[in-house]
Amino acid sequence: MQKILIVDDDPLIRLLLEEILTDFNAKGIQISTADNGLTALELIKREEPDIIFLDVMLPQMDGFEVCSIIKNDLSLKHLYIIMLTAKGQEIDKKKAHEYGADYYITKPFTIQDVIRKVSEVLGASSQ
Amino acid sequence: MSKLFKRTLIIMIVLFAIIAMTTAVSTGWNLYNDLIAEYKSKGSAIARSIASSSVETLLNREPSTVQAMIDQFTEILGVSYVFVVDNQGEIISHTFVPMIPREIIQIKNSTLDTSRDVSIEGKGEFIDISFPIVEGTVGVVHVGMDKGIIFSQLRAGMFRQLSLLTIIFIISVVFAYMFVNKISQPLNKLTDYSRKLASHDFTATVDIKSQDEIGMLAETMKSMAMDLSEVFERYELALKDAIVELQDTLAYLTAVIDNMADGLLVTDTDGIINHVNPALSLMFHMREADMIGKNCRDIFGIELFELVEKSRKHPDEAFTTGIKLAGGKFGQAVATGIHKDSLEAEDVHEKGIGSVILIRDITAEKEIDQMKTDFISTVSHELRTPLTSVLGFTEIIEKRLEENIFPLLKPMDQGVIATIKRIRNNIKIILSEGERLTALINDVLDISKLEAGKVEWKMERIQVQDLIEHARFATSSLFEQKKLEFRQYMEPGLPEIIGDRGRLIQVLINLFSNAVKFTEQGHILCQATKSDNEVVVSIADTGFGIMEGDLSSVFEKFKQAGDTLTDKPRGTGLGLPICRQIIEYHGGKIWAESQPEKGSIFSFSLPVLSALPPTKGKAGFLHYEESEIQL
Ligand SMILES: Nc1ncnc2c1ncn2[C@@H]1O[C@H](COP(=O)(O)OP(=O)(O)O)[C@@H](O)[C@H]1O
Ligand SMILES: [Mg+2]
Repeated sequence: MQKILIVDDDPLIRLLLEEILTDFNAKGIQISTADNGLTALELIKREEPDIIFLDVMLPQMDGFEVCSIIKNDLSLKHLYIIMLTAKGQEIDKKKAHEYGADYYITKPFTIQDVIRKVSEVLGASSQ
Repeated sequence: MSKLFKRTLIIMIVLFAIIAMTTAVSTGWNLYNDLIAEYKSKGSAIARSIASSSVETLLNREPSTVQAMIDQFTEILGVSYVFVVDNQGEIISHTFVPMIPREIIQIKNSTLDTSRDVSIEGKGEFIDISFPIVEGTVGVVHVGMDKGIIFSQLRAGMFRQLSLLTIIFIISVVFAYMFVNKISQPLNKLTDYSRKLASHDFTATVDIKSQDEIGMLAETMKSMAMDLSEVFERYELALKDAIVELQDTLAYLTAVIDNMADGLLVTDTDGIINHVNPALSLMFHMREADMIGKNCRDIFGIELFELVEKSRKHPDEAFTTGIKLAGGKFGQAVATGIHKDSLEAEDVHEKGIGSVILIRDITAEKEIDQMKTDFISTVSHELRTPLTSVLGFTEIIEKRLEENIFPLLKPMDQGVIATIKRIRNNIKIILSEGERLTALINDVLDISKLEAGKVEWKMERIQVQDLIEHARFATSSLFEQKKLEFRQYMEPGLPEIIGDRGRLIQVLINLFSNAVKFTEQGHILCQATKSDNEVVVSIADTGFGIMEGDLSSVFEKFKQAGDTLTDKPRGTGLGLPICRQIIEYHGGKIWAESQPEKGSIFSFSLPVLSALPPTKGKAGFLHYEESEIQL
């Protein structure tokens, strides 16, 4: 079973992403959420979700740190990380790349952005 | 005794000695001659009388009578001996005791009536005077006059004369001394007085009241001294005034410098620190004494030293640099060369005598700047999150309506169809305005960073052609939407430029999207040409154009030309200001030409490689490469 994890401290953003991904949920893909870095890390280690939406600004441990921990862990390395941030600036894109994130989505994003990317990743991994 | 008198006295003594010697010698000589003559005549008189009286006795050959006669003559002063020689040449009688000396026997035969000098051993010098008796037929009388008596008489005479002269001399010396002293005493006083005057002792006086030249001299000197002391006093006063004035001015200047809020640093042309003010000491937490005389390179670092160098080389310009102050504060240093106008050196470099550097604590300004940038970045971040929800949920609503609700509403009446249409339209407006808000947030953040100099520039060699291609690719969907033709003209052999590729593409995208946005039909022409030391890129459209009055303000922030109420496409009003910031950073210019209803041409120029201002451009690049951007 494929899994998606949404990590954001803003409940509305979590809700929005869940709403966007309802179609996938209906198809049997499990969607879970976390509102801080540490819980997220635990969940990731336990569940090994296929896709992780990871906000940059998070309480307890920021997104970049979570990202680098995962990407430095051989057993978790393959997980697809999409960084979400409000700072749509070059420096954050660069940083995301440096920490090993797979993709980068700037807030505000469109439904299409998210759906396209998720189907792309899930389609590729299910094949 | 004055020197003058001493000298005169010595001269007098010498002169007197010469005179005394010559007179003594001449009188002595005269006296001697006189005495000799006197003795000779005396001697010859005696001899004659003996001769005349002794004729008979000689003829009678009575030597005892002769003896008795000559014996009595020896009593006469000066006569020392008498002897008679007969015609046979025999001494018949004499007065010699005990015997006739040898020297007499040698002269006994001289018969002539003459005199001669005889020196008899053990007896002394004598003048021998002979007189013939009866023409020499009977014999000769010899009388010996004692020369010793002449000498003693001569000595006594001379002694008398010399003593007299000496007495006269001493008396005259005493008189001369008294006289000279009388003259030289006031002279001495005058000398003393003039010596005191020379050492500026104007309180000294001299009391000479005589009416002669010396008195007059004293009077003149006194009045001269009075004049001098007056002049001196006046000059001293003037000098004091000048000094006080100078000190006042200096104190005023020092007070001004010392009370300046900005730090002041003065160096010579080698960068050696000559002067600092308390504000500077405070800024760097350093004592004045630890800075004076040192090279500013050692104390404030290479940046400041380079500033001094620059201001020395270009004395008419001011140069600035940032500098770290003590306590984590930040300052800005402005340096200008100091040069004296009066120095007549043809070479500008020679004229300079140093540099003056003003350092201002700009920590507060920097902090405010930082706060402003931070604030904008926070605000834009905080705005983005709710905006994401607004846009996202609107999209979801749209999607749900389209997928789940609207299909259920059939068969529907006209009213429902109209309502659905309006709902779709309303949702579109929410979405497009939401997107515009996103663009606005991005642009505000962008321009505030550009204006604050917080942008990281990546300067590299670029082909203009390459930039245009990228921008064209990024905006191709816009062209397709509006069905506008894109034309391009590239002048052959365009030189390379130096710039930030991403930022220059951003400019072109902005201009392309504006051109598309404000053009309904026709084409858009992009041209790249070279002129002088620049490459000029222009984007011409066949759109609405811009009214003459608005043309100048389109590069200002939030200025959107024309009537904002018309259904003209709306933007952020920040695109062109961002373009201008970027182009101007590259040392270029951006401008617009337009004819309402015909179209507009937006152009910008970029300096080509060789024409880049080396110092300014390079420094700028360096500066931005080094600084970490904080957003
Ligand atoms: N090619 C063009 N034709 C006509 N008007 C233009 C063109 N480009 C810019 N303008 C005018 O300049 C204004 C400012 O442009 P810009 O700074 O890019 O802001 P925005 O595009 O967001 O409105 C625009 O609103 C428009 O009125
Ligand atoms: Mg624009």
